[in-house]
Amino acid sequence: MAVSQEMLAELRSEGEDLDLSWLDAPAAERGLRIAPGKRGLTLEEISTGTYGDIPMQSRNQSGRMRGAAPRGDAQQTQQMWPFRSSSWSQSAMLLYEEAVQRQWSSATDVPWAELPDLPEDLEYAMSQLCTFLTQVEFIAGDVPGQYAPNVSGEFFEVGLFLASQIMDEARHLDVFRKRALVNGIGLLQAGPGAVNLLTAQDFTEMASTLHLVGEGFVQSLFRMGEMFAQTEVDKRMFRLAAQDESRHVAFGVMHMKYVMETEPERRDEIHCYLDRMEGLLGAGSAQAGLTGGGETTEALAILLGGGSTEAQINEGYMKLMAIRKRQVNEYMHRLDVVGLGDRRQKMHPMMQMLLDPSKN
Amino acid sequence: MAENDAPAAPAEAPQRPQIPGVIAPPAPDLKWMNAATERPPRVRELGPEGFTLAMADYGSYGLAPDIWPYENDTPRGAVPARDRGLPAPYTIYDKLDVWAESCAELYEAAIREQWKPATEISWSGIEPLAEHVEASLDQIYSNISEQAYNSNAVLLGWLQYISYGFHEVKLYLATQSFDHARHVEAFRKRALANGGGLGVQSPGFFNRTVFASFKFTEFVIYNNIIRTTFLLGLCEFGQEKLARSQADRQLFENTANDLRRHLVYGVEHLRYYGLQAGEQKRRNIRTWLDRGEVMLAADLKRDKPFREAVILASGDTVAAGKEALKDLRQRQFKRYIGALEAAAYRGREAHMVPTLKEMIETP
Repeated sequence: MAVSQEMLAELRSEGEDLDLSWLDAPAAERGLRIAPGKRGLTLEEISTGTYGDIPMQSRNQSGRMRGAAPRGDAQQTQQMWPFRSSSWSQSAMLLYEEAVQRQWSSATDVPWAELPDLPEDLEYAMSQLCTFLTQVEFIAGDVPGQYAPNVSGEFFEVGLFLASQIMDEARHLDVFRKRALVNGIGLLQAGPGAVNLLTAQDFTEMASTLHLVGEGFVQSLFRMGEMFAQTEVDKRMFRLAAQDESRHVAFGVMHMKYVMETEPERRDEIHCYLDRMEGLLGAGSAQAGLTGGGETTEALAILLGGGSTEAQINEGYMKLMAIRKRQVNEYMHRLDVVGLGDRRQKMHPMMQMLLDPSKN
Repeated sequence: MAENDAPAAPAEAPQRPQIPGVIAPPAPDLKWMNAATERPPRVRELGPEGFTLAMADYGSYGLAPDIWPYENDTPRGAVPARDRGLPAPYTIYDKLDVWAESCAELYEAAIREQWKPATEISWSGIEPLAEHVEASLDQIYSNISEQAYNSNAVLLGWLQYISYGFHEVKLYLATQSFDHARHVEAFRKRALANGGGLGVQSPGFFNRTVFASFKFTEFVIYNNIIRTTFLLGLCEFGQEKLARSQADRQLFENTANDLRRHLVYGVEHLRYYGLQAGEQKRRNIRTWLDRGEVMLAADLKRDKPFREAVILASGDTVAAGKEALKDLRQRQFKRYIGALEAAAYRGREAHMVPTLKEMIETP
């Protein structure tokens, strides 16, 4: 809907030097009147008309946002991915809005004042676990961050979701650091870390390695926080972190599903990324081992067994196997959802042994 | 030998879990329990703002070194692993390249002050406006949304270069990028909510300049000093002169509040850089300011739709709108010069590039 000619004439008579061509013949769709729905005014609701036309391919390298009117003199960058499939996830809008609504504060939403004193071995174990977690959590922010400059304004929802994930990862680094420091123990032994995740050279590779595998395994661990968390404070911390991780995993799963549906020829390539993550190449990341290094494993065994006697640690290891089994089976479920069910036959043998029988 | 003298059967050793091929854990080592790290005091009482990062980072945990020594993701205060694995792609190890004293406080403040565009803006209360006013507002909102997306994309790309030891900085920057994301969506929503749509894209000179920052401090000067002061000036002006509804006022007010935090980071970082950098590096500041001002002026000069939109949206007559545009530029200029002075970078007014001066004086 353009401004009426009468109004334009009146404005031009007032200001002869005004151009007003942008009002006279707007190149972007106008006339939208979008009311908020039950969840407020969300990205999904404004993704309508031409603003909801998410292109399969775009030559927009200028920073123009989807739906905005282009300028003839717009300069190009050659930095942005032209293909929707390069980064798109059908759930990006929904998950971004959910992330905004479900932000929490590590300073005030975890009832730190209620943290009881625990036996020293359990306190040490929790600090060691949290040293591992604070070490790896912001790697999960650095990794998606490196791709944000490549996400064009045509697919801006992906860029917004990545910002929400990085916000979440910041809070995770922060909350686990606080947990290690609150109880009088402090940080302990760092492990080899998760820098390998930063080697991803492609967004889909990142979604495979970070979301489908790395974050997925952490999500399963957090969701089983009830088993190893010794206090209500710790349980709350892991529950809050798990709900964030669920969004990240969902984003990655939906991206992978989209890629598998639109670019099925990438199947073998994606298996290569998973081979690496599972440890099938014999080096690099080894999700086939227990989550984290030896220190973290011992810490988890102590927490799960309720103490550091040999019998307790052995009991802890047995419970850790249950967690491990769940991690692997939930991973397999994600693979089924994205259309990579054939991974069952290709999976690292040490992980395969933990798989439940296929339902098919 | 009496029956009760028989030697006791050896105590049965606890069975170690053995799951062939999957897990056969070694005997517990537990050396990590003796990690030579600082034992902070047990926290018994929390502050009025809860258990903040500044409170948690007690003693040596709170000391960010001038040069961070580890190339991987070792958290500050932990014992580094003997096998540190692959060195990360971090390139920023010098504190002076990223530091601002109040990062930890800004991080917590950003979380406390987060707002939710979908549900905390009075979208339903926006009344229909004259078409040219709505279109003008939408042009301005499109511009803010586009700038915020550029800031978000470029800032997120920098995180991979900042080493892990400066965690306060990384955490704060995560909040800033999340602020930018919310600005992108909030202003886009407003442009689409009331009978309008998006306007014309910006000329993009400044966007490209932000993209092309070679150094992080350069990025901060472009994004957190130049862009933020001009956007903050616009939001403060907008609250008074542009807003037609409660939703408009909320958008400008909330955004301005976020931008003030971004500006604090920018000012503190620039001050720290100016104080800590040697003469050679300090000279970079002028080069970056010159470049940023030139590119900003190019945008201001060529962005006719934005300029005309401000005129049409802020005055009852075109003449009044032109006066309002001058007022906007003066506010932005004062914000900009004020920020530089707060960063202990004085005298810029006399050295501002002529093209920007021209756009301020005769917009």
